[in-house]
Amino acid sequence: MTPMLRMLPVALACMCAAAPARAHHSFAVEYDKAKPVEGTGVLSKVDWTNPHMRIYVDCTDDKGVVTTWNLELGSPNSVLRRGWKPSDLRPGQKVSFKGYGGRKVLTRAAADVLTLADGRSFTGASGAPDANADQYGVGAGVPIP
Amino acid sequence: MRYLVIGLAAAVALAATLAAQGQAPAQGSEQERLPARLSGEFTPLAKPDIANGPVPRMPDGHPDLSGPWVGGGSNQDIEKDGGLKPGELPLLAWAKQLRDSRKEEDEPYLYCTPMSVPRTNPYPWRFVQSVTAQGLSTFYVIHENGDAGGVRKIFMDGRKHPPADDLLPTWWGHSIGRWEGDTLVIDTVGYNDKFWFDSRGTPHTTQLHTIERWTRTNFGTLVNEFTLDDPGALQHPVQLKFTARVQPPGSELMEFICAENNQYGVAADIPNIYREKGYGLEVQPPAQK
Repeated sequence: MTPMLRMLPVALACMCAAAPARAHHSFAVEYDKAKPVEGTGVLSKVDWTNPHMRIYVDCTDDKGVVTTWNLELGSPNSVLRRGWKPSDLRPGQKVSFKGYGGRKVLTRAAADVLTLADGRSFTGASGAPDANADQYGVGAGVPIP
Repeated sequence: MRYLVIGLAAAVALAATLAAQGQAPAQGSEQERLPARLSGEFTPLAKPDIANGPVPRMPDGHPDLSGPWVGGGSNQDIEKDGGLKPGELPLLAWAKQLRDSRKEEDEPYLYCTPMSVPRTNPYPWRFVQSVTAQGLSTFYVIHENGDAGGVRKIFMDGRKHPPADDLLPTWWGHSIGRWEGDTLVIDTVGYNDKFWFDSRGTPHTTQLHTIERWTRTNFGTLVNEFTLDDPGALQHPVQLKFTARVQPPGSELMEFICAENNQYGVAADIPNIYREKGYGLEVQPPAQK
């Protein structure tokens, strides 16, 4: 089945939350909470690079037009510290994502939810406001205790 | 609401699609290994039962300050982060005006320049001791993320600062340290004016003089009593306080090469205002009395 693409430029449910501890840059400088996006496609490239990880997802619409999304995640170190490994993200995998589009370039988005074909997923990848941290640490939407 | 329904439908359809394609479900152990929530920026801290333990000590009896630590400095707003109320940071008029005119999107740090003192971000850092035949010679401060390749040195051998006229202003300045009981005291001058204390844009001049008093109060806590002195930007010195937390035992710094693939600004079409004019104060501070 052709991977589908859904783009939802609509304000999602209330994202009321304290801003997470700020890292390399704040979410709001580059990305727009009012531009939620989502899609399903094939991982074409995975860059475990600094200062931010990037994954590229090719999404094909009903007419066969391919859009490549450049999705920003946190730093590789943050992703690794949460338990993900390079083998979890391989080019050719099918993934779905939700995120927030760039203020000027919609397809340069911050990935907030990433779901693998086997159902595993994570959220909060973008640094967007996220009050549901369930781990003890800094940067997960909780202030330093 | 309509879009939300579509979104839910899409999620259900995706699940059905993936299931229909016969994707193998994850192993149970894999499911357990990967947490449900993965924040973009995250550094684990020691849990309270460990953090409340006693201060570990070096063979010479001084507290072990090696960490790794998280926090202990300014990040978003030095005034607030340091424990002051809004408006209490005694900035001179020109400095306040400059801070208020700066935009977060223009932070030099975003272009992979060093954070400098007293800034910290949500990544770990360490004090690292260098001991030679003459004894403790230097403390190095190594931040996993935010040094941009520069390593801060704190000379512990009793030397003094060079004469001010001989100091070329640098990102980390010239630091000398000493022990006062269990407190590591670091005195630093010779900073350049190119870094921001915070994403709010709080400025300083090359007259910046900082005194840090680092005290480990238990296993998990390192307090930074911080004296901020800058006759060029402040009406008078001010006392701030920051607290660092320790990472779980066994934690280690990881590699971070900031300039590797920095695509900052492209998604929002933010211009790099430093490409032509370089870093440093955007205005000339008024002449000193």
